Amino acid sequence: MDKKLVAYVTAGLYGSDFTTDLALKLAQSGTDIIELGVPFSDPVADGEVIQRASHLALQQGVQFADVLDITSAISLKVDTLLMGYFNPFYQYGVPALLSKLSSIGSSGLIIPDLPHEESRRYGEIFEQHNLANITFVAPTDTDRRIETIVRDAKKFIYLVAYAGITGSAKSERLDQSIESIRRHSNTPIYVGFGVNEKSAKSKAEGVDGVIVGSAFVSVLLRDDLSLSAKIDKCAQISQNIKEKINS
Amino acid sequence: MYIPRPFKHDPIDGHFDIFGGRYVPETLMPALLELEEAYYKIRFDEEFWSEVHYYLNDYVGRPSPLYYAQNLSDELGAKIYLKREDLNHTGAHKVNSVIAQAILAKRLGKSKVIAETGAGQHGVATATIAALLGLECEIFMGAKDVHRQELNVFRMKLLGAKVHAVQSGSKTLKDAMNDAIRHWVSNARDTFYIIGTVAGPHPYPLMVRDFQAIIGYEAKSQILHKESRLPDRVIACIGGGSNAIGMFAHFLDESEVECIGIEAGGLGVESSKHGASLLKGRPGVLHGQLSYLLQDSDGQILEAHSISAGLDYPGIGPEHAYHKEKKSVRYDNVTDQEALDAFVWLSRSEGIIPAFESSHAVAYLKKIPDIKEQLIIVNLSGRGDKDMMQAKDLLDFT
Repeated sequence: MDKKLVAYVTAGLYGSDFTTDLALKLAQSGTDIIELGVPFSDPVADGEVIQRASHLALQQGVQFADVLDITSAISLKVDTLLMGYFNPFYQYGVPALLSKLSSIGSSGLIIPDLPHEESRRYGEIFEQHNLANITFVAPTDTDRRIETIVRDAKKFIYLVAYAGITGSAKSERLDQSIESIRRHSNTPIYVGFGVNEKSAKSKAEGVDGVIVGSAFVSVLLRDDLSLSAKIDKCAQISQNIKEKINS
Repeated sequence: MYIPRPFKHDPIDGHFDIFGGRYVPETLMPALLELEEAYYKIRFDEEFWSEVHYYLNDYVGRPSPLYYAQNLSDELGAKIYLKREDLNHTGAHKVNSVIAQAILAKRLGKSKVIAETGAGQHGVATATIAALLGLECEIFMGAKDVHRQELNVFRMKLLGAKVHAVQSGSKTLKDAMNDAIRHWVSNARDTFYIIGTVAGPHPYPLMVRDFQAIIGYEAKSQILHKESRLPDRVIACIGGGSNAIGMFAHFLDESEVECIGIEAGGLGVESSKHGASLLKGRPGVLHGQLSYLLQDSDGQILEAHSISAGLDYPGIGPEHAYHKEKKSVRYDNVTDQEALDAFVWLSRSEGIIPAFESSHAVAYLKKIPDIKEQLIIVNLSGRGDKDMMQAKDLLDFT
């Protein structure tokens, strides 16, 4: 079975049409799942690249309604998750949001600041709508904790590649975490944080897929590329990474 | 010796009703669970508390006096007492909690501490205790505050701390906390985050409240000794809310005492420039907790404003959100101008220069309509030395 590629892009940056075009192009270029990043004023789990893109998107006036419009435009064509900090979702209202997402065909949410202890009260609503609330596992987690948090994992488990924020060059040995997850769950494991063209091959070892964010977003932030060149460059990166992780 | 006791307002499973919680990246959860376990082990432990008290007494100078402000009292026709947290070593109440957190950090085997700071008081307190206990210390401070509070930045460096000027977002306290959390996520294994207020993920709001509740514990026995009765009102300013919770904790159970928390009214609560999260915000999630927040309809966090860097924060500790909903504390606000007037008023009537933060609590004395004959305690959370440069620009005495 081939290893999967999940691509994170900051939703709404340079307009909804741009994100839509970018997402569809990525889907034709090896990306299996699109993560639409919801811009947030205080992205504490993100490194500089995604922080900058998030603030730029907000400066450009991107609103949560735009992210939902983009979701509706792409989610029948490509598997789409919303990735964002909890507050914007909470303000929309979790039950209302999940029923909206299920009606427009999204597969669920990735919420980096909603650990098991806070998310379990929403478990039933996710279940009702058949949506995934992606489970994070960190390299700081013990086997006992992993056993608890992966129990209800759906779609894939997001294994954080190192203790840190997105887009860093750090790396850590993950064999123990992977072994422990496999012991307690059959859900595929995708590794995220610090995955780029260079690191993809090694990061994909022993897991079922990779999640790539900052590597795409840094292309989006480049001043020397036109909008269409940004899309082409991202598509090329997507293709490369997909080949590398499956070579 | 003050040792906390189980309290009816203790969080249940990390939550004060819906407020509080642990809204953090998974990477931090093991560190938080470890901290919670460690804290519950020593929360009522005499040995731990006698170590804390050794420093609080001999190093900080506790108990802090409860001072009868004769001139203010005469002017207002009431009895006003000031709880003198401004006399603590390092100049504010912050040190009460920093000492206890640093001792806990050592017990957990962490060799490095980090802290966020707005006005610099919490940063200075942390740098001080880190020097005392031989801990490596890094302080995160918004670039705007680094500029506004130059002297405190120098103090921290003098004490051996490394100061990061945070360039992201609004470059103030909120962003300093974002970067402190980012650093913590990256170094959770050997780094203890000394949070400056009753905010952040569980167990911080509980822990910091317990550490600051020595204020109310002392004040209560002092007022009973001096006046043989409880006060009618206790007043404290609120940014994150630690000096207020610390004062209120021992009066909340007394039905005849009204606890009043004063938020930063900035340029007025009808303007967009204030720090009145409880009055003008709504529940939301930031910095690891669910509490009242200044935010737009999409849940983007808004910038706060206050003359005082310590109150310039768009959120508030979750226990205050809980007391607001339970109506167990009354909340009101005071503008920049009213606080500045009180800063001068207290300086000239009592010879005590309060911090801009504490000036908000003092200012409220003039806004209480039925103050005559009342017995009131104001928590004077910090001294005004740090505000001299800013005050010099704002006040013209020629």
